[in-house]
Amino acid sequence: MSLIRLDRVSRYYRMGAETIRALEEVSLTIDRGEYVAIMGPSGSGKSTLMNLLGCLDTPTSGVYELNGLNVSEMDDNQLAEVRNREIGFVFQTFNLLPRATALRNVELPLIYAGLAAEERRQRALEALERVGLGGRVNHKPMELSGGQGQRVAIARALVNRPSILLADEPTGNLDSKTGMEIMAIFNDLAATGHTIILVTHEEDIAHCARRIIRLRDGRIASDDPVRK
Amino acid sequence: MRFIIELHEALLIAWDAVRANKLRAGLTTLGIVVGIVTVTLMGTAIQGIQRGFRQSISVLGTDVLYVQRFDWFINSHAEWLRQQRRREITWSQFKALERQLNSARAVAPMVDIREAVKYKNRSATGVTIIGTTDQFLVTGGVGISEGRFITPEESEGGRPVCVVGAQTATNLFRGEPILGSRVYVGGHPFEVVGVLEKQGEFLGAFSLDNQVVIPIGQLTAHFVPFPDYTIQVKVGDESRLEDVREEVRGLMRKIRHVQPGDDDDFAINQQDQFIKTFNRVTGVIATVGLFITGLSLFVGGIGIMNIMFVSVAERTREIGIRKAIGAKRRNILIQFLLESMCICLFGGCIGLALAAPLTLALRRLMPATMSFGLVGLSLGVSLVVGVIAGFMPAWRAARLNPVEALRNE
Ligand SMILES: Nc1ncnc2c1ncn2[C@@H]1O[C@H](COP(=O)(O)OP(=O)(O)O)[C@@H](O)[C@H]1O
Ligand SMILES: [Mg+2]
Repeated sequence: MSLIRLDRVSRYYRMGAETIRALEEVSLTIDRGEYVAIMGPSGSGKSTLMNLLGCLDTPTSGVYELNGLNVSEMDDNQLAEVRNREIGFVFQTFNLLPRATALRNVELPLIYAGLAAEERRQRALEALERVGLGGRVNHKPMELSGGQGQRVAIARALVNRPSILLADEPTGNLDSKTGMEIMAIFNDLAATGHTIILVTHEEDIAHCARRIIRLRDGRIASDDPVRK
Repeated sequence: MRFIIELHEALLIAWDAVRANKLRAGLTTLGIVVGIVTVTLMGTAIQGIQRGFRQSISVLGTDVLYVQRFDWFINSHAEWLRQQRRREITWSQFKALERQLNSARAVAPMVDIREAVKYKNRSATGVTIIGTTDQFLVTGGVGISEGRFITPEESEGGRPVCVVGAQTATNLFRGEPILGSRVYVGGHPFEVVGVLEKQGEFLGAFSLDNQVVIPIGQLTAHFVPFPDYTIQVKVGDESRLEDVREEVRGLMRKIRHVQPGDDDDFAINQQDQFIKTFNRVTGVIATVGLFITGLSLFVGGIGIMNIMFVSVAERTREIGIRKAIGAKRRNILIQFLLESMCICLFGGCIGLALAAPLTLALRRLMPATMSFGLVGLSLGVSLVVGVIAGFMPAWRAARLNPVEALRNE
């Protein structure tokens, strides 16, 4: 069974009298352990697709099954629970809480999962260790460099052991060297069996993945494995 | 367990948010502060007045009936005019009642007048002279601190003896032996046979200790030949108060020849009439106080709601992040409700801190203490205002769409 199955999923936005077809009948399956890059020109629907995959948003029509569960019919709270358990987000702008330390930022998903303080701390420390930030756990986001901030975000995405890591242009705000360091972490995670889906518009970043899906005007233009 | 973890997290966030905007939080609590100060001061004042009043009123005795020509409290001018036409209560009516009423513990006649009292070359003016019998010791609930009270034989007879109140005694005597000495009441000589215990003031206005008790026979002989009597009836048992009252009423109607169907032409007063009237007064104070409190809490609540909307707007992105990570609606709702409650509680504490010294100032006027109940009530009210004022903003925050919230700069 596929981890992700989209069946003719559409997402329209209504802007006054006009309807914007951000995604149009997209069908797609992604299996556990895949490493996928989504590419396409600006406005082609990449972020819309990521938001749907990440259960931040629900499709206008079509069916989205995640782990065999029909996500398209869930309510707000059920979606929150799925996001907490199954999804780890990494955003272009990191989206860390500025007043919280790295450790607390990483603990956050575990708080909403209802874990006790001791276990939270343990797992958050492990996750920070994993992204090479074991020595910076008490720093606030302001006190970290961009690359370090994004590592904290990755640690936060990993900490509740989700089924999928979703990253929307994770290197978009970083210089190319730092970007490649972040990609090294993703590559490593993919090598250890994590399912990763990332959006990028840089070819060499996309070529880290093993499959590239290209979108155009809300439709899948191509879907090919990467030849190495 | 899970709920406690979530609550703890929400509390941390709320606390952090309040701390980050101390000044803003402080300013917006002004309405709450005023409300809490009003409610505590009003409550304290009412409790203080009530306590002082009850202390005073207790000298009337909870189980004593006062049979009199007039009601203590007359509600209308017409009623006042009607009561003016009533005949006086006479000595023979008192004697008849005393003879026929056997369910009461004691019955005493009482007449009071104002006279100057002299001892040697000292004089005390405006002293209440009470003419009564030995039974007054029971009905009046007074105690003797020195000597004795007047005897049954002296009560109606001619022996000029008197018992002086504590205040009158200290006013007239400077260390001379009091018992056996001779004082002049309105020019007539009386031998002091006893001193009353100190009783304090009545309603904070006039002293109960500036008085001299003389036999009723002496009062009618020297001062008022045909006075309008008050008859004090000591029931001796509060539970029989109503029964005895009815019996007294029946007897008095018979004694004064009131025709069946006519209204009573006398009054039977008792302590609880005072209490009822008094409760009306405190009720007015409470209504005014509650109005001010309600108004300031309302204004304060609107201010808090406003600031909470600002807080939600400022933290839209944070809400988006939390939702993306798995926060449910209730997590966000509780987080903002607690923030609003923290601010209000903060205001409540400031209010209490201001009210405490004001209570001390009030203590000069009445036996006022800020009770635990009032403190609890104030904090409770603050929290409720916090919940009500915070609900709309928190609800809006909880329902934010995560994608839109994340897009917020
Ligand atoms: N909330 C929205 N309301 C209206 N239109 C939107 C909204 N989000 C995205 N769109 C539109 O949908 C299309 C796809 O957007 P998006 O998924 O963000 O593209 P990409 O991430 O590939 O640049 C664009 O035309 C965009 O303007
Ligand atoms: Mg985008």
